[in-house]
Amino acid sequence: MIPLTHYLIVSACLFSFGIMAVLTRKNAVNVLMGIELILNSANLNLVAFSKFSSANLNGQIFAVFVIIIAAAEAAVALAIVLSMYRIVKTVNLDQADTLKG
Amino acid sequence: MDKALVTQILFYFFAAITVGSAAVVVFSRSLIYSAFALLFTFFGVASLYVFLGADFLAATQLVIYVGGILVLLLFGVMLTHKLYDLNLKTETFQFVPGLLIMLAVFLTLAGVIMNTSWPSRGERPMNPTTAEIGELFMKDYVLPFEIASVFLLIALIGAAMIVRRRDSQ
Amino acid sequence: MHPYLLRDLHLFYPEIAITVTLLLVVVADIVLARVRGKITFFLTALGLMVAFALTVPLFGAGERTLFFGMVALDPMAVFFKGFLILTSFLVLLAAPGSRELARSHLGEFYALLLGVTLGMLLLASSVDMLMLFLSLEMVSLTSYIMVGYLRDDRQSNEASLKYILFGAVSTGSMLYGITLLFGLTGTTKMAAIREVLASGVAAPNGMALLVSTALILAGFGFKTAAVPFHFWCPDVYTGAPTPVTAFLSVAPKAAGFATLIRFFFTGLSETTPGSTQWSAFPALNWSFLLLIVSIITMTLGNIAALRQDNMKRMLAYSSIAHAGYLLMGTVVLSSEGVQAVLIYLITYLFMNLGAFLVVIEIFNRTGSFDLKDYGGLYKRSPFLTIAMTIFLLSLMGIPPFAGFFGKLFVFGAAVNRNLAWFAVVGALNSVIAVYYYARVIKTMIMEPSADGRRIQLPWTSQALVWVMLLPTIGMMLVWDSIQKLTNESMKLFLGS
Repeated sequence: MIPLTHYLIVSACLFSFGIMAVLTRKNAVNVLMGIELILNSANLNLVAFSKFSSANLNGQIFAVFVIIIAAAEAAVALAIVLSMYRIVKTVNLDQADTLKG
Repeated sequence: MDKALVTQILFYFFAAITVGSAAVVVFSRSLIYSAFALLFTFFGVASLYVFLGADFLAATQLVIYVGGILVLLLFGVMLTHKLYDLNLKTETFQFVPGLLIMLAVFLTLAGVIMNTSWPSRGERPMNPTTAEIGELFMKDYVLPFEIASVFLLIALIGAAMIVRRRDSQ
Repeated sequence: MHPYLLRDLHLFYPEIAITVTLLLVVVADIVLARVRGKITFFLTALGLMVAFALTVPLFGAGERTLFFGMVALDPMAVFFKGFLILTSFLVLLAAPGSRELARSHLGEFYALLLGVTLGMLLLASSVDMLMLFLSLEMVSLTSYIMVGYLRDDRQSNEASLKYILFGAVSTGSMLYGITLLFGLTGTTKMAAIREVLASGVAAPNGMALLVSTALILAGFGFKTAAVPFHFWCPDVYTGAPTPVTAFLSVAPKAAGFATLIRFFFTGLSETTPGSTQWSAFPALNWSFLLLIVSIITMTLGNIAALRQDNMKRMLAYSSIAHAGYLLMGTVVLSSEGVQAVLIYLITYLFMNLGAFLVVIEIFNRTGSFDLKDYGGLYKRSPFLTIAMTIFLLSLMGIPPFAGFFGKLFVFGAAVNRNLAWFAVVGALNSVIAVYYYARVIKTMIMEPSADGRRIQLPWTSQALVWVMLLPTIGMMLVWDSIQKLTNESMKLFLGS
């Protein structure tokens, strides 16, 4: 069958891609996509470990809760992005940066 | 062909979809391509859940991530651009340092993953999980379950409050 | 039904009270039309007072875990519950009086405040990694919304956007670290993690432990605003409405420290029964890592604060520095250190909230947060000037004010663990900090003022300032009780 490490490498890829998106993307919605990649990578880890390293379903339950939290976070983040867009008409993170001082 | 080989091929196929579309999400210059590639990434992850025997979770992933979060993201993409701007291009900054950091992170994680002796407590057989998950929600995980509902209530109130137009106070 | 579920519910009254109040406030906000602002305010205040009253008897309830090992009930958890409810109550009192929030409808604000308080209570008592993550996200998400409460204000929106993006990445990384720990140990309960790690899993997997702990620290560092996860702090503190800033600088930070202590002491340390000293697992010397973080945090916070002319930004960097001192108490791995953290938090609550309260009042009158507009405050309002001076002297750590005792205990705990050099670094940092606190005092007293009108404070604001002032001045008088309280409260439940 497929060994544990295969799944872990896939999730490590997703995590790295997520970090890359967060670091390099200017559009706030794009950064949000990176964050979703990070959360998915953690979920994949949880389910893989649940199958291989623990005798119960705790990892899968944890993953359900992560999905719940990710949904709420995405909703709030998009609400904030929309509110920001209404005021400054842009969601580019380098243009929305007047707080430095 | 024997079952093990088919399983392996299918796994690599779905893993490639997942990782490949994640790459498109991160490196594409068009925001719409990123959003739709994210759709494929979520599908890929759901398929990997099926490989791991997490049937309930795979269905939940599809319903909530694809059906909910992705739709939200698409709304976000569409609502934050001027209507005539059909290209929806995005720019990046500090691409090369970001790439280096990403590679460093990945190599560190891969090194740790391959060199750690992950303790094994036996592999779970492929049983349906929904009934057991339902039971756990009402027993071991009853507190997080209830707290999650309060959490969602607050997120709902907060998100709606932020986006509500001023005149409807 | 599980036989212990009903018993656990009886020990969960504060959280239940807050939840019920939250629901009532939400309903009241929808149903009542005109007087809803006042009613929701009194409802929230009543709910918080009831919750506090329900927390006090829990002190003697013993040590156990509740709800199948999700949260712990021990003196330390009870201490933090009381502390966090008190902080929320004081911020609640300050909110309606602030000019920034005057034009907003505050019904949702009270609901959010109750929600974040519930999340913090759970965060401070979580002993399961799932519960920890869930409550951490609950606190964070609600904070993001509260920061962006002024929907028409550009700075508030910007602060909220930066906060949520930075926060989501930090907590996402923390989650990834938690999953690695889960993979190593097969469990999400902190006590069980410690047992598995001690039984031989830790030694060959030092690298994995290090990576997972470093990632988990991303989340803790974010919540407590420690370097290098502090980048959100100045911008968010400056852009948020000042009552929210005051709240963020004390409550979520304290809850973050509570859970940090719980995680590291319960999950990653070992001790012999009856001893007051812990040691980290040999495979993962996290205390050394945190020691470096502590030093960098206090130094960076203090040095960056030197150049700030905006009061909120300066207080933001000051709170980063204070997080560094609080980390010192955690790093020394002793009961004394934990007690020092608790004492420091008590003093920090009153002096920091007090300073922010004065900032709010001055903004109400002058519309400015700039230091130069604090000139000549002595002539305009001697009361505010003296109050602010006392708060700043306390933040500096000058005796006989409260802040001195906090620093004394933290440095003392370090010395008692043979880390005298660490205490010296802390003391030097305090000396650096004197400069920027003193600069404010000097401006208030000696600089000329542009606008010479007297400032008249409503009695409610005066009373609130006195509430912060009295503990700051009079901490020595109740010193015995404070010592006894924190001595009791440092007991952590380490079992399962």
